[in-house]
Amino acid sequence: MKKIRLFAALLALTLTLTACGKEQETTTPDAPEDGGDAQKEMYVIGISQYGEHASLDNCREGFLQGLEQAGLVEGVDFTYDYQNAGFDDNIATQIGQSFSAQDVDLMVGIATNSAVACFAAAEDKDIPVIFTAITDPVQAKLDSGNITGTSDKLPVEAQLDLIRQLQPNAKTIGIIYTTSEPNSVSTIEEYQEKAGDYGFTIDAVGVTSQAEVTQAADTLIAHDVDCFSNLTDNNVVGVLAAILEKTNEAGIPVYGSEVEQVKLGCVASAGIDYVQLGIQTGLMAAKVLTGKASCADLPYETISEYSLYINSQELDAMGISIPEALAGKTVEADAA
Amino acid sequence: MLDLLISTLTQGLIYALISFGVYITYSILDFPDLGVDGTFPLGAAVTAVLLTRGADPWATLAASLAVGALAGLLTGVIHVALRVRNLLAGIITMTALFSINLQIAGSNLTVDRGTDTIFTAPLTMSLFGGLTLMQRKLVVSLILVVLVKVLLDLYFRTKSGLLLRAVGDNAGLVTTLAKNRGVVKVVGLMLSNALVALGGCIVCHEQRSFSATMGTGQLVYGLAAVIIGVSLMNFYAASPLARAMRGAGALRYLATPAGTTAVIAGSILYKICIQAALNAGLPANMMKLATAALFLLVLVLSGRKGEAIIHA
Repeated sequence: MKKIRLFAALLALTLTLTACGKEQETTTPDAPEDGGDAQKEMYVIGISQYGEHASLDNCREGFLQGLEQAGLVEGVDFTYDYQNAGFDDNIATQIGQSFSAQDVDLMVGIATNSAVACFAAAEDKDIPVIFTAITDPVQAKLDSGNITGTSDKLPVEAQLDLIRQLQPNAKTIGIIYTTSEPNSVSTIEEYQEKAGDYGFTIDAVGVTSQAEVTQAADTLIAHDVDCFSNLTDNNVVGVLAAILEKTNEAGIPVYGSEVEQVKLGCVASAGIDYVQLGIQTGLMAAKVLTGKASCADLPYETISEYSLYINSQELDAMGISIPEALAGKTVEADAA
Repeated sequence: MLDLLISTLTQGLIYALISFGVYITYSILDFPDLGVDGTFPLGAAVTAVLLTRGADPWATLAASLAVGALAGLLTGVIHVALRVRNLLAGIITMTALFSINLQIAGSNLTVDRGTDTIFTAPLTMSLFGGLTLMQRKLVVSLILVVLVKVLLDLYFRTKSGLLLRAVGDNAGLVTTLAKNRGVVKVVGLMLSNALVALGGCIVCHEQRSFSATMGTGQLVYGLAAVIIGVSLMNFYAASPLARAMRGAGALRYLATPAGTTAVIAGSILYKICIQAALNAGLPANMMKLATAALFLLVLVLSGRKGEAIIHA
């Protein structure tokens, strides 16, 4: 009797799930909005995001804005299927494959692991893939083939310059990074290469998981670093609040790598705006979708403009004042 | 829809290799080996490094089997020689492998499209060149999994294989036979981890990438696949249809499917459930909860061992 119940339950579960799946799949691609040009083919875009994360969410928002700026209207010119892998590589793989099976016109991979999974899934049908929020597309081997996008490479020199101006006497910058994130590893290399030019030494502590981050922060505080600088390292940014608690107590300023971190309580950042990055990505995607260009024609882009975001409250708390050279060039993070 | 079915089946088949490994440790040896979460990316790391260095794609299969067996040997030695509890022995190996994997691969590693994998190698192309890549992936995975299944079934009938099964069922018997239980356990762990690493190798070929975090949750996946598969097969084996077939000469082989067949079925079914949940729009954040619920449901409804015909 038990066995029959098991079988029935499993069968019911599978059937319900597949039934829901089918229903969604048939309604998404062909549901023209009222008043829309029903005859025209609607582009279907599959968006695969690696996890829930303010910067990545901003990328996605920006991407959709970019499409609109290029004159594509959601529900008329395109529909999109947004899937989030919850930082699970296996789910990212299945998301890519389900996009390929749906024959989407374009896949968007937000963050490296999702982009790599989309690119692997798109290989067979040669579906174009657009990525964003990847620091080093060359290292990730996403720089050739039917793929292009935008890199969120940090303006390292601008950050070093900013720290030098705000803390003229500082000597050591402490950085926590995840050893398995290629983005972080390549950025640390750049920091170490360029720190000397600004009179800094870098004290980098590697971690392998989020659980080790606060201990790494304690280590750096014990090393008496003059400040912390963050990368766009997901593990580190994820527990930024806990790091800030420790550094505030020790009176050590923390510099962020983008505006969201400054809003959270970092003192300042020479950072990129992920919404802007997303918009740039959306504009590229629009060219590929409408056939104005192919991915091969569009080399991947980095955002050249960055802003100097500050958090005045935190700067005051650390006793740092804005030097005249920077006056007027900074943006209050809360207002950004 | 057909494409989705093909790629989901492929995933189920590839991950069946991991489930075979879990089947050997958990079901046969009664050894919950958490080392799986480290051995799976180990196979992928070795494969990614070899592929990027221009090694023959087929050689990576042998290499990952070998490193996987070494990882199993490590867990076995920690457990048997150093007398560490089985659960902890696996955890120690898993933790050590995280660093070792990163040492091997440097950091997360991608294999570019120009590099041949087992799905695009000359041998594969000469046999199945007419198929699309997606179909080739299915066919090659199917051949590999069936091959491993047949070899495993044959192995379980050898003296060594029978001893392996005896250790989990009735450890005393093995001692009575004047055999060393420890050695048998180590052999089982080596075999299991070799298969898990092979799974990691094939996933790396298929995804063209290694990531340090790809091993997270693989043991749970393998367990779920084994338990779902074995429970379903027990249900089938106890059904009137199977009972009738058992009395009918040649058909009796169909009436009692091998444990390995059950594992393949479980792996495929589990991947189908995940894909269906994704398609139904279940938020990714809820996925693990859904997995846990499904897992618990199957465990409770199958009533654990009971009058099981096949081992779970």
